[in-house]
This record gives sequence, C-alpha cells and structure tokens, in this order.
Amino acid sequence: MSFIVRTVARTADGRDIVRLKKFDQTELSIGRSPSSDIHLPDLAVVLNHAVIRVVPGGVVEIAATAGMPFVVDGKSTEHQRFAVSPGANVRIGSHSLTIEPSEGEEQGAVIVTVERVGAISNASEDKEEARVFSLAAVLPGKRALAWAGALLVLAVFLVWPLTSINTQPTDSTRKVAFHADEFWTSGKLSRAHKPLENNCQACHVKAGESVRDSACIACHTTVHDHGDPAKLSAAKGPVGIVTGTKQFVGGFFGIKPGRCVECHTEHQGETAMPVTDERFCTTCHDGMSSRIKTALKDASDFDEHHPQFAPTIRSLGMNGVPTFSRVSLDQNPKEYNGLKFPHDIHLSKSNGVAQMAKTLGKAEGYGAPLDCASCHVRDATGTSFATVDMEPACGACHSLAFDRVGDTVRTLRHGDPAQVIADIRAFYRGGAPRAPTLTGMQRRRPGDFTAAAQGGSVAPTSALHVGTADQAIRSVFSKGGACFDCHVIRETGNRMTPFAVAPVKLTSRYLKKGWFDHSAHETESCTSCHAVNLSRSANDVNLPKLSTCQECHGSQDAHKEVPSSCALCHDYHRTEFAPSAVRKSRERGKAGEHIEEKALKRAGTGV
Amino acid sequence: MASKPLRQATSGRERASDHEGFLRFQNYKWLKIAVIVSLLCLFVYAINDVQPKPNGGSIYGYITGTAGVALILWLSMLGVRKRAITPGRWSLKSWTSAHVYLGLALIVIGTLHTGFDFGWNVHTLAYALMLLVIVSGMFGIAAYAMLPQAMSANRGETTQIQMLDNLRMIDRQLNEAAQPLDAEGAAIVRMALEDDPFGGGLIARLTGRYNRCGTRAALSAVREHKSRQEAAADPLDHVEVLLERKKSSLSRIRKHLRYKALLEIWLYVHVPVTFALIAALLVHIVSVFYYW
Repeated sequence: MSFIVRTVARTADGRDIVRLKKFDQTELSIGRSPSSDIHLPDLAVVLNHAVIRVVPGGVVEIAATAGMPFVVDGKSTEHQRFAVSPGANVRIGSHSLTIEPSEGEEQGAVIVTVERVGAISNASEDKEEARVFSLAAVLPGKRALAWAGALLVLAVFLVWPLTSINTQPTDSTRKVAFHADEFWTSGKLSRAHKPLENNCQACHVKAGESVRDSACIACHTTVHDHGDPAKLSAAKGPVGIVTGTKQFVGGFFGIKPGRCVECHTEHQGETAMPVTDERFCTTCHDGMSSRIKTALKDASDFDEHHPQFAPTIRSLGMNGVPTFSRVSLDQNPKEYNGLKFPHDIHLSKSNGVAQMAKTLGKAEGYGAPLDCASCHVRDATGTSFATVDMEPACGACHSLAFDRVGDTVRTLRHGDPAQVIADIRAFYRGGAPRAPTLTGMQRRRPGDFTAAAQGGSVAPTSALHVGTADQAIRSVFSKGGACFDCHVIRETGNRMTPFAVAPVKLTSRYLKKGWFDHSAHETESCTSCHAVNLSRSANDVNLPKLSTCQECHGSQDAHKEVPSSCALCHDYHRTEFAPSAVRKSRERGKAGEHIEEKALKRAGTGV
Repeated sequence: MASKPLRQATSGRERASDHEGFLRFQNYKWLKIAVIVSLLCLFVYAINDVQPKPNGGSIYGYITGTAGVALILWLSMLGVRKRAITPGRWSLKSWTSAHVYLGLALIVIGTLHTGFDFGWNVHTLAYALMLLVIVSGMFGIAAYAMLPQAMSANRGETTQIQMLDNLRMIDRQLNEAAQPLDAEGAAIVRMALEDDPFGGGLIARLTGRYNRCGTRAALSAVREHKSRQEAAADPLDHVEVLLERKKSSLSRIRKHLRYKALLEIWLYVHVPVTFALIAALLVHIVSVFYYW
C-alpha cells in the first residue's frame, strides 16, 4: 500500500501545475513543518497537524496529532475513518485534501490531491475594485435608499392618514387620541378650538373643499350676522387686484367672500384666537357713507380717522317723557337724569364738604376730602361702576333722620315720597308737636351732626319744631328741605301726597356701540379722563373726548403706548359682553383671561 | 477700424488653461440670477403684509410654493440630464451651474414660502428634507473643491489596484515569513492576514479610524512576544518588519478610502433624500388641498 500525493498549484494565468510524489509507506504526516510528508504552507495549520494512514480493509484513518481539528466531508473532527473508495474530502486550514483510490497501474494506492482553496489573506481574495474602494461596499445602494425613503414618507404621511380618515368615526365615539391626519396640520388650533385638535374633519368636512361656514355654525348656533348680507356686500368698496384675484380663483372652488374663516384664521398656534385685523373693518367702514345709506360715520383708523364719541344721552321730551339720542361730545351734550349734583363742590379739597368729610373721620370711611371712590364703587365685573345708592354714598352727610325713640333713630324713607309724607303726618298726629329730637326735615349742612352723633344733640331750631304737618311736608320738599336740594320736585295738586320727586335715571353705559373697560385703565386716575372737578351740574356729560383716548391709543400699527385695532372696542358680532378681542387678546395676557372669566361669570355660562 | 487681436498668441510652452468650472461658469451667470431671484423674493416678502401672519396659503405663499416645487423637480432632473452630455448653451456644465445656484436660491424661496411657520407636521418635514438635500449638496461641492488634491497627494502615482496589489504582496511575504512559527506565532500573523482592508463600516470609512485593525493588533502582539530575544535572530523580526510595511500600506489605503468616502457620502444623502423630499412634497400638496 502506498500514497500518491498530487500537489496542485495554480499559476497567475489560471493554469494548474500538478506535482506528483509517491510514498511507499502506510502513514503520512501532515503539517506546516517542512519535514512533513504533506507540507501545507498554511498558517492555519500547525507544524504537525495530523497523520493519515491506511488501515487494512481498504480503510483510511486520519487523526489529529496536536489536538487541532480538521474537517472531513464538512464535519469537524479530530479522528475519522473512511473507506478509500469512494474516499473523502479533508479540509485543513485553507487547504483541501481529496482522498480517493487510484486506478490503473497504481491500483491499490491512495491518491491524496492537495490544493490550496482559500486565499493567503483577506486582501488576496477576489475584490471588485469599483465596489470595494467606494461606499457601495458599506452602504445600501442609492436607488434602494431612495425607494425606501420615498415609500416610508408616503406610507407614514399619506397612506396612514388617509386610512385613518376613512376608518375612524367623526362623531362622539371618536377617540380623543392621536389620529394620523394630524400630521397634516399646519399649526396648533387656538385655545377655543383645542378640543377639536384630534378631529380635523369637524371643520374640514369634505375632502378637497375649503372650510365652509356651515361647519362653524354647527357649533356656533347663536352668532348673528353683522348686518344685512346684501347691505354688507354693498358696503364693501371695490376690490383690489389681490382680493379680486383671490375671489375669482376662489369662485372656481365654491369659495365665497365673507366666510367666517376670512376673519377667524385658525391654526395660528395654541393661543387665543388672533385679534381680527383692522382691515376687515375698514374695507367697509372707510368711506362707507358714500356707498350705502347709513347713519354711521366713516372710520378707518382710530388715530386719524375716527368719529367723535357720540354717547346715548337721556333728555326730557316735550311732554316730560324722557328721550334718548346719540349726541357727539363735540356738541357738549347735557343730559337729564333727574338729579341735582355739583361734582365741583363735592370734590373740593378745602370747602365745607371737605371739612365735613374730615370731621366724619376714618371710622365713617372718610377722614379726608372726598374723592371719586367715596361714592363710586366698582361693579362686580370691574368693567364699570355700581349705581350710586343714596344711603351709603350720601347718607353720612345728607341724613334723613327726624326722630329718635329710645336708641332708635327714625329716618325718612328715601325713594318713596308718599311714605315720607305719611311718616311726617304720623309724627304730627300724636297731638301737639313735641320737641323734635332731630332736625332731619332740613337738609343737614356740614358741621351739623353726623349720623353717629345724632343721638347726642338736638337742634334748637327745626321745621318740625312748630307748625303743622302740612307745613313740615312743604318745608321738606321745598328749597332748603332735605329732598329739594338734590331732587327735582313737582307739586301734584293732590292733597294727600302734594309732592312728587322726578325719577332719577343715572346712565350706566353711555357708549353702547363700543366697549370701555375701567379695570384695564387702572394705571390712570379718574380725573385724567373725566374732568369732573369743574363740573357744576349733574347735567354735564363728563366723558373724555376722542382726543383723550388718542393720547395712548393709536391704530393697530401705530407707534403708541397701546396700538388698538377696531376690535379692541367694537365687536363684529356684537353682544352685551366685552368684545372678544378684549377677552382674548394675547397682548393682554393674564388681564385678558381675567376679563374673560368675569364676562362669562356675568353671562352665567361657561360657554 | 483697426482692432487689436483679442488675445496675443501665447509664447513659450505654457498655455493658459481655458477650463472653467461649473461654479464660475459664464462669469457666475447663474449665481447672479440666483441672487436676483432671492433678493426679489425677499423684497416682496418684506413689503407683503400677510395677516394674521405670513403663511404658505397666501398669494405670495402660493407663488413661492409653486416656484419651489417646480424648481425642486427641475433640480432633480439633473440626474437624468447628466447621463446625456451635450455642448452649447444648455450644456451639462451650464445645467450643473444652474443646479447649484438655483438650488441655493431654493433656501430663500422655500423658507419664505413657509413664512417661518414651523411645526411637527409633514409640511415642516418637507422643508427639513429640502434643507438636508441642499446642505448635503453644499457639502458635496466643498468636498469636490478641497479633497481631490489631498487624495491625489496621498495616492502618489499609484492606482487603486496597485495599492491593493502592494498589500497582497506584503501578505504573501508575511505568509512566507510566518511558516517557521509555532501555532501562537502563526495565529498572530493570521490576525494581520485576515484583516479586511475594506472592512469597518461607514463610520470607519468616514473617520479613517479602524479600531479592530488586525494588523495593528498583530504588530503589538509581535512586539510584546515573550519568546523574542534581543540578540538572536528570530523569524518574528522579519514578520515585524513586514507587519510595519503592511500597516503603512493599509494606512495609505484607508486614507484613500476616507477621501473617497467623503467625496461620495453626500450623494448618499443628496439623492435618496431628494426622492423622500419629492414624496413629502406630494403629501404636502395633497394634504393642504385635501384639508383646504
């Protein structure tokens, strides 16, 4: 038995060179050592790697000598026997040993074909130059990346939203959660519409159709038009190129001018809905009187082109019936409210009134000359003032006390002349007029008595001191009497109730077309706007004129302390509440929220 | 009227090169056009008072949007156009020059189209992708302007194949030299032989840092090998020399690979993101009119 070792070497041009070596022995050593029978110049092979020997019975045995395994027919092992025929393939390192029986002359010998199958090194392997030297070797192809990117974008941002739109309910069963069509939002909704953030289709009802008013009206059921639509469209001036183009193009898509969204722009961020721009007002109100028949005066800019304020003035008509009309402040209007009240005397810093207030002292809520707040108190909203009530505002000085029984002071009932007359008659009915304990029938003068001190002193002279009940009644309702100095007294001719007091109607709101918020003007003093220090009569309308407001307020783009668009005072959809711009103005910040809260409170609703 | 010849015949052997790169093509014609377009857009944006704030839905927004999308589609056609080289007014060079400068003008047009109204939505995604494409293009131009010289210097006169062949030759020598070594020594050399000069991934290509370099590991292992003696001749001495040579050869290849990677990487962003951008633009347009 012998071995024939065929060593195959490959030339550079790919030819095989085979060298034969015969061994007449039954065992061959395999290894990297040059002394090995089968020399494998392979660093993955140890110096003496294995032996291969022939075992009687046509069997070949291969065994590792250094404990390093090899691979026989694809199986890693350290010892293997197999029949010479058909033989086997042994892989040691990068070398392949094919073992097969010889044929012909050499029959009986075992042929071992040795061939290097692996490259010497990684670098020696076949490399495609263009590929390995470029990034193509370490990155997916540009085409693949392009497809992946484009398809990913389409899947996530087009297919998913479309699926969501067509499968998710839009009614109340819709989940309050992220829906894929929100990828399409152009910005957060305003705070008012925040609950709709997850429901695009609440407003965008139909695919490809711009938002219609019907979507707004679905919720805003009570909002009314600014005016007759025909008149509104007539009031608009000729459209410019830009608006004309917009309307022309919009016409093809059924977009009509005057939609809600023209003024109420959404998706502007999570703020209050933006204040309506001045231009939406001035497109009509600038030069409107030349286009339509209207009582309204033209306005285009608060700073430069705004009519003088025209408060609603109460006056007495021909037959004593009160009438109301708007009169410009330029005409110095006088109002009739049924009261006699000189502001100047009451606000003096040095006269008797001032002394009286000082005398009354802090305990009575005075102690210093009167100021506005002595009588005028804010109403619950802070926007305006509570109606002045006689007793708390005037009663400390203008006492109606007329008698004392024990510790109880009896007063004439304010606001009820018939009761006053009845009380005086009753006072006298008890026989001869007793000495009056108080001088209430007569209007008190500063320095007489304070309400608190009334129990202690008795005026020696009094209308009630002598005379009859009728005399006393006449004196109370006549010049110098308690009623007369403040009220307009009318004789009725009736014997039982000979006098009547004209009703007092103090105006609580003069500017009904606009809005004024006192709480927003706390930085100002009262008299900086209301020149009441010099007002001698209650008939004076002590409202500031336009020019006073213009000291701080300008148009929306003016470089003034308070740039003011129309919407700051006027509401397009006017209600009895503050304009939404006041309630929601971003510039106002916390103050705006405060006012909003108050307006809602007053309206008795949270919606 | 006598006129001077436009150009004196050049004397000597030196001749002025008439090469004109795409950047300065036709005396920066497209740069000028791009600047004019950008300034025009900026000017109109400045005087155009859109309420309540500038946005893509205004008339100006529609105009810049349409111009932007047309420009993007045209710019992306360079990939088609460059495969057909023609001379003349609309030569590829002219086209490339316009591609670069109009692409840069797109920053202005696109940004003004947004009205600086950004959010986490598909619209801003399209804008971000557009910027990514433009920035990658700018990187590409910078790379093309700066790297070829350095790459050439690194490569010397050798070709890529020559570099690789040099490495293969060293590997053969290493293999030879390592034959007498024991298993441990052979294993050390094999670390170097099995080292893939092109392995390491994208990061290694871009940075030129190959942390798991087998050759470097083999070199330090050989240097610290305990069996080595100062005086006696040792087969490891030769191995060490060869490893040194392989290291320097590898380092040159890898430097070359780094330059190539930096020259190529921008296209791997520029091209695929362009298609993602076109997809995002499609969604952008569909969505704004779907939810008009």
